[in-house]
Amino acid sequence: MTIDEAKFILSAYRPTGSDTSDQTFCEALRMAKDDPSLGAWLAQSRAHDSAVAAKLAQVAPPAGLRDAILAGVRVSDSGRSSGLGWGWVASMAAAAALLVGVLWMRAPSSPDSGAATFGRFAINDMVTERHGGKGEPSAALVAELQATGSPMPGAGQIDFEKLRDTGCRTVTFAGHDVVEVCFNRDGSWFHLYVTRRDGPVGDSVARGPSYFKEAVGAAAVWSDKQFDYAVASTAGVDALRRLL
Amino acid sequence: MNNEAFAQLVDAHYAPLYRFALSLARNGSDAGDLVQQTFFIWATKGHGLREMAKAKSWLFTTLYREFLRGRRRDSRSSSLEDLPAGERDPAAEDVERVSRLDASVVMTALQSIDEIFRAPLTLFYLEDMSYQEIAAALGVPIGTVMSRLSRGKSQLRASLDRTEAAGGKVLPFPNSKKSSA
Repeated sequence: MTIDEAKFILSAYRPTGSDTSDQTFCEALRMAKDDPSLGAWLAQSRAHDSAVAAKLAQVAPPAGLRDAILAGVRVSDSGRSSGLGWGWVASMAAAAALLVGVLWMRAPSSPDSGAATFGRFAINDMVTERHGGKGEPSAALVAELQATGSPMPGAGQIDFEKLRDTGCRTVTFAGHDVVEVCFNRDGSWFHLYVTRRDGPVGDSVARGPSYFKEAVGAAAVWSDKQFDYAVASTAGVDALRRLL
Repeated sequence: MNNEAFAQLVDAHYAPLYRFALSLARNGSDAGDLVQQTFFIWATKGHGLREMAKAKSWLFTTLYREFLRGRRRDSRSSSLEDLPAGERDPAAEDVERVSRLDASVVMTALQSIDEIFRAPLTLFYLEDMSYQEIAAALGVPIGTVMSRLSRGKSQLRASLDRTEAAGGKVLPFPNSKKSSA
């Protein structure tokens, strides 16, 4: 084994010393013990690895991610059939209602319909405060949304692929892409979520808007031929009614 | 798996999964989405895993696959192994420099190296995974893992060199093509 070969192998040697008993490293470690230059290299390499590992471990996940994971799975869970076998689908639906204090403003046919699920998803995502997107959102669409009195966009104005690829934030809901566009109208922030009708919400959304209110915000859900829409805001149901 | 057990699973793994996702996706929003998607897949499929001891490996593998599935593939994937590694042995001042830098700057330096080296390096540094565990998680041969660790560390040191030269601002690796991630 050459010095370079030993360095190559020892690059995979963990700084914590967890690999001491791994036979793969034995010969290279023996060489490092016998060769002062290789020994110094190994010591520096391990010290550097330890320093990098310690620094990276300080990177903290964003506040709210844990709750968003748990809430997301609960909400998605309540919208699916009972094929999971967890035995907690029914209890999750009840727990979710208790947890977020769902108040039905105009109830659809079933409390776990696609509209309700999509509305809860929109509110939960809105309050995770991880908005900002991958880049510049579609300026024309945002400008249109921000104009007082302008209607919400319809299928003819939504280029889903373009919105997804050119910068608006795309989130995942039950394994499907949902594009989010944030806009401010008359001093209040709104978050518009758009997903295809062949996605997770399906045919259960009524054409006209249904309104849902939770402790942290409200959402309106509606659909057209191509898309399901949800717009969420902390400004309340009245603000959503004015918007629509 | 009941609600409480799922919450315990999330508590045990969401932070390291987020760091792994952040190193891959290079922005917090996408990293958060990747972590959420990974746990969603667990909720629909992974809970059937017979050995819970393998849950950690399953989660990291699934997140990595979701990342690969989500990003656009381009021609760089096949030629990355030929990229120069920026060979340079570690020196004492390297350790001091890392200790001085802010954690976010070190993470950004890690994010600046080529994606093919980033995934194994992150698992090595953040998860203390052995080369065998990394090979299993990423689905690559052991020798390839060793090669990527060796060359990735060299790239990271070079990136940290440039970070210091730029006064803490991370510059892109000169031989890297722009990632679509």
